[in-house]
Amino acid sequence: MIKQNKILNLTFTCFLTLVAIFFLVRMAPGDPVERLLGPEATFEEIQNYRNDLGLNDTVLTQFKTFFLKTFKGDLGRSLFKRKDVITLLSKHFKPTLIIAFFTIFFSSFCGITIGLISAVYKSKKPDHLLRFISIFALSFPIFSLGPILVYIFSVKLQLFPVSEWGDGSFKYLFLPILTLVIPLSSILSRFTRNKFLEEMKAPWIEILKAKGLSNFSINLRVLKVCAPSLLNVIAIQLSVILAGTMVTETIFDIPGMGSLLLEAIQNRDYPVVQGVILYSTLIYMIIYFLTDYVAQKCDPRISS
Amino acid sequence: MWPKNVIQGLVASMKLKKLKIKKNGELLVGGLICSTFFIWSIFWFIYSTIINGSIKSPFTPKMNMKYELILPFQESFFLGTDVYGRSLFQVISSGVSYSILISLTVSFFASVIGLIVGYFAVSGSNFIKRLFDFMTNFVFILPSLLLAILLMSFSGQSFLGLIMVLVLTGWPAYAKLARGETKRIMGLCYLEGARAMGASRLRIMLKVIFPEILPVFIVNIILGLSGVIISEATLGFLGLGGSEYSWGVLLSMGKDVLLEGPHIVIISSMVLGLLIIGLNFFGDGLRDFLDPKN
Repeated sequence: MIKQNKILNLTFTCFLTLVAIFFLVRMAPGDPVERLLGPEATFEEIQNYRNDLGLNDTVLTQFKTFFLKTFKGDLGRSLFKRKDVITLLSKHFKPTLIIAFFTIFFSSFCGITIGLISAVYKSKKPDHLLRFISIFALSFPIFSLGPILVYIFSVKLQLFPVSEWGDGSFKYLFLPILTLVIPLSSILSRFTRNKFLEEMKAPWIEILKAKGLSNFSINLRVLKVCAPSLLNVIAIQLSVILAGTMVTETIFDIPGMGSLLLEAIQNRDYPVVQGVILYSTLIYMIIYFLTDYVAQKCDPRISS
Repeated sequence: MWPKNVIQGLVASMKLKKLKIKKNGELLVGGLICSTFFIWSIFWFIYSTIINGSIKSPFTPKMNMKYELILPFQESFFLGTDVYGRSLFQVISSGVSYSILISLTVSFFASVIGLIVGYFAVSGSNFIKRLFDFMTNFVFILPSLLLAILLMSFSGQSFLGLIMVLVLTGWPAYAKLARGETKRIMGLCYLEGARAMGASRLRIMLKVIFPEILPVFIVNIILGLSGVIISEATLGFLGLGGSEYSWGVLLSMGKDVLLEGPHIVIISSMVLGLLIIGLNFFGDGLRDFLDPKN
């Protein structure tokens, strides 16, 4: 069973995150109404509009209304886009979900395979080569990897369109996913290698060897023991990508969560910022508990 | 002065260390790359502040729209020029010294704050323990990019503001490390010995615990430098950085003119990648070097 204490703790922290962001956004300089109405608006117009939106109330009152409304499932309306926040969220969720799914799928596959190969051939040529490649891949941050990939695949080879989302079919998806998969799979491969070698030192491996098991089946068993911690790392990355990858989405013009949040923060679009943050904390909590549950199923030692 | 066997021991350990360095290829390559960049940034700093400018307006490559987007090795620009007609070599040099300066400052402050908070999260009074633990976890969980964007809007786009933001989002990682290490050392026997000999708490902190944490900390600071460089450049890329010399600004400019002048993105990515590879190698090699198990 998941401990009650843990649930309470996490819920409390997520709630605090939401509160902190709520107040920080409102305290930050810059006024959404002034941006919305433009520089020619008079003081009175601005004040009237602010009154309509409820922005002239004290921050605490605003927080109270936000809190009560959220419980009823109403996240308010965007100040700039004239749409409900929930509609906006569900519209921007789809691209992020597609990208997150494929990214996690391919990078777990590649990362774990590469990590296993370099762990099995420890300190031999394949290991050195793969470790060098993974450090090399990690050293290019997303905002330099993305444009380089665009240059290679779209400009030189002309295989894929340059930085656009279009209808979201495969040719638009390939480059953003590749940009995310390269660093992620190298992180995963390094982690897999270290974890695998750490578990290989355990005393029960000796027993398996003494029993005369083949190398292959020993590796398989060790991998099973590594599974929960691998799952943990993958889950953290999944929640990060699902919360929106601002840089990738900016490079490839993807209408996802990250670009929604970035635009909302720059415009001080309070309801949208709150909505996205609420969504990402919820995603974080759900994934956290799911991983906890699955990890306990994999490795009964954890629950004790 | 010294007894003979001490000198012999020292010589032997020096030889061993030399051997260890020679065997450790990562440390050599990483150290070479890092020191090259460091010397480059210092030379550029001296050149741009003292020889070719004033202290008040450092790092200012000249703009000249006539030379807009010239490819490498043409018209006496050996790396070409950027969108504003500045020599790309000068812009990149400014970027190198700027990001090295920022990453060193930020890592210094973040690690000092982290060390102190982490130490007191283990050895302080009950209230302080809880408070510091909570603070660390709370800042750790907040989405750091979002926090940075919001804080940047408070401080305006200034150099000091940028450093403050990066320190604020960077210290929890060090605090977690320091907390774990302090907890480990607290259980060791020789700490009990020191306490039994009547060492004060301050003395234990400065003479027993900090020196023990230091090797792990230094490795993590070096590995963290690349993280600071990347997050600073990310802010610049999203248009929230403090300076026009950030890598991120250069790259986001290069991304827009990818068809006309691909050299901007390619060259600056290569230099940035090389710096980060150097830091990663150096950190990894240093960890192996300092690890007593090897």
